[in-house]
Amino acid sequence: MSDIHHPARRSVLAAGVASAASLGASWLLTGCTGAASAPVLPAAAQEGTPDRGGTLRIARPPASDAETLDPASALSAYEYLGALYNRLVRVAADGTLAPDLAESWEPDAKASTWTFRLRKGVAFHDGRAFTSADAAYTLRHILDKATASPQAAVLAPLVDPAALRTPDEHTLVVPLKTPNAEFPSLLTHYNCYVVPDGSARSIGRTGIGTGPFKLESFAPAGPGRVTAYTDHWAGRPVLDAIAFYSVADMSARSNALLAGQVDLLSQTNLDFATARVVAASDRATVARVKNAQWYVLPMLTTEKPFTDVRVRQAMKLAYDPEHVVKVALQGAGAAGWDNPVPPSDPNHLSAHPAHDPEKARYLLKQAGQEGLAVDLYTSSYDPIFTPMALAYQDSAKRAGIRIRVKTAAADSYYTQIWMKKPLMATYWFTGRPVDQLFTQIFRSGSSYNETAWSDKAFDAVLDRARRETDDTKRRELYGEAQTLVIEKGGAMTPMFADRLVGISRKVRGYDEHGFEFDYRGIGLKGGA
Amino acid sequence: MLSFVARRIAAAFGTLLLSSVLVFLAVQALPGDVATQVLGKDATPDAVAALRTQLGLDQPAWERYFDWVRGALHGDFGTSLVSGKAVGGEVSLYLGNSALIALITVLFAVTGSIVLGIVAGLYRDRWPDHLISTVSLVGMSVPEFVVATVLVLCFSVALPWFPAVVLYGPEASVGQLLPAVWLPALALAIVMAAYIVRMTRTSVIDVMAGEYVTTARLKGLSTWRVVTRHALPSALLPTLHVIALNVAWLAGGVAVVENVFNYPGIGKLMLSSVQNRDLPVIQAIALVSAVVYVCCNLAADLAAMALNPKLRTRGRTR
Repeated sequence: MSDIHHPARRSVLAAGVASAASLGASWLLTGCTGAASAPVLPAAAQEGTPDRGGTLRIARPPASDAETLDPASALSAYEYLGALYNRLVRVAADGTLAPDLAESWEPDAKASTWTFRLRKGVAFHDGRAFTSADAAYTLRHILDKATASPQAAVLAPLVDPAALRTPDEHTLVVPLKTPNAEFPSLLTHYNCYVVPDGSARSIGRTGIGTGPFKLESFAPAGPGRVTAYTDHWAGRPVLDAIAFYSVADMSARSNALLAGQVDLLSQTNLDFATARVVAASDRATVARVKNAQWYVLPMLTTEKPFTDVRVRQAMKLAYDPEHVVKVALQGAGAAGWDNPVPPSDPNHLSAHPAHDPEKARYLLKQAGQEGLAVDLYTSSYDPIFTPMALAYQDSAKRAGIRIRVKTAAADSYYTQIWMKKPLMATYWFTGRPVDQLFTQIFRSGSSYNETAWSDKAFDAVLDRARRETDDTKRRELYGEAQTLVIEKGGAMTPMFADRLVGISRKVRGYDEHGFEFDYRGIGLKGGA
Repeated sequence: MLSFVARRIAAAFGTLLLSSVLVFLAVQALPGDVATQVLGKDATPDAVAALRTQLGLDQPAWERYFDWVRGALHGDFGTSLVSGKAVGGEVSLYLGNSALIALITVLFAVTGSIVLGIVAGLYRDRWPDHLISTVSLVGMSVPEFVVATVLVLCFSVALPWFPAVVLYGPEASVGQLLPAVWLPALALAIVMAAYIVRMTRTSVIDVMAGEYVTTARLKGLSTWRVVTRHALPSALLPTLHVIALNVAWLAGGVAVVENVFNYPGIGKLMLSSVQNRDLPVIQAIALVSAVVYVCCNLAADLAAMALNPKLRTRGRTR
């Protein structure tokens, strides 16, 4: 993944060609099988336990021709990371933190120093024992300017690499520059996989980690293979090996699945037409990653008319997110109600203002913007953007808002439109801990602040939440922060969408949520 | 004859130079550059500025162009801005893979369509002619990615005879690529066959109506002999240029088809370099395509000269 937001930059190569071709494919296949009359997509992957052994074949969009296995890099080959490495801390299915290479962690009374107790008896693939030196080195490697890690922007304001302490082989002490009660959650990011001490120069090629698979071969934007690491600390994985193949074009990826050449399409959200074809095939079916991405219509708060908070509120009250989910996602997702914290997150606040076009009309009148007309930019970058824009346009009509939907080129969408046009359609992957989400995308001046929103009250709540060591109180503060985002912020968040994953009918034990993929448990039925 | 060839070669060099300028300007006109494209959403102003300086993008455009020309004249096409590898090696690796498809396509399309064109011409307005003309016209009218997709559905998904996509990278051996070459080659052949079939048919009809063919027939020669010895050489002459243009078209036509099949060829490299604004790679590919175009046309001209005595001797008599 070239970055944390959109899954596959490369999948938009020739987006026009790709979508035309996949449409052609779906139309032809639905024509043949009559699947169009059965629009129901499976809700879950195949049940049952896998057989031991076998090779799983995964098709993935390459991050770049300069891909690397260095987890900290912006150009890391995302799929390999979870197979080759472990982090100190990971995210469990219920959104809480779970131990990985750290068995436990505790803050001091002010949450300004964190102590991690590390797992014993863990060995890297080259046989060396994993110690606190490796954990400390991993953090220093992320913070090193030469690495240019995207996660450095999050950790650098908190961690001084020179201050890290390793009192013994299995203890890591991290003194923070400012107190942060959510610090461990920031280490769940996929840039934070643990690498061996001193490996900065070689890790991009060797891929030596502590994960359930060890590297056999890897070519940037090419094929690669990992094999079971039988001495893994949690026990050997079910599979014998995983073969990764780089397929940049999305319709080529679906064709490979339909032809039985691969078993799983990674980082690929099938469009509805293709998903139906896949679900109707004998070889493959569709699994879902619940609420895998959240869609946003960011309003630039520095551009008229969105400088006026009443206009922003009107834009939000004017539309019905349930309508957008029904039209744009065909029901495969959940309404967002302008709250970017996913429903699966323990910090999620369910309260929200109700859809109220009359109030929207009133607010616009107050702001002197009656009969507001604005451009909404979209592109073929993602198949959901345009349906979402049209559904919004349709829904906002009732409040007297006229939306002109404009289509921009896909390949320069994130350089020319995003953060430049006052209103556009975009999305993010879910899986970010709440503190990182707010700090990176909503806090004043943050690097991904796509609405350029700056609110001192919001920043202050965030600071208080970070310092608060009492879990209940902290949750309340993050709730307050969500209220501020919903009521004053510039981001409209109509919905969380399920990712439709193309998967072979032989695959068992597929479990993916956020940025977590269970490589140890996945396997094949009759695969060995 | 010699001065004709010399003039054609000089014109060819002019064409190459012009195309390199045009491609350079076209890439400059695209929104964004390699720094913003590679960094994507991570393109903070600082990161973009640092990458631009590192890649020399802060130099004026014309200066970069002349640097490139200077290097190219010395056989150095620079390094890819994305992968950091030498462009020359990179492009020739992908080009070799594409050449495999092109070779098979040309063999199939050219021989196949000439035979079909002759049959259509000989059976003018009877059922073989109608069948061949209609089918080849349909093949020509449908875009190549649709043909490719239909072929995948038929021969990879429904009948698992051929792989749907290539799972290997550019370093794949010929043996690894060979099973995957047939569908893309067939797709390209279907699209380009129609032109050659139509042209061959027309010239066969023309030639067969000629007086010397009638004479040959009156001498009692068999139809087979009349066609192969007398009609075909003359009939092929106007077809040569169509063939040359079609072979040159392959250089661009493979781009779309290669992506449908994930085939690690020059077309796929071109698409990803345009996506990344990887100028040195795009320039090198454009140059290669231009060379292919120019060479194909030059070869067609020379072959036409060889087949046509009038053209061959004109230089001497003047």
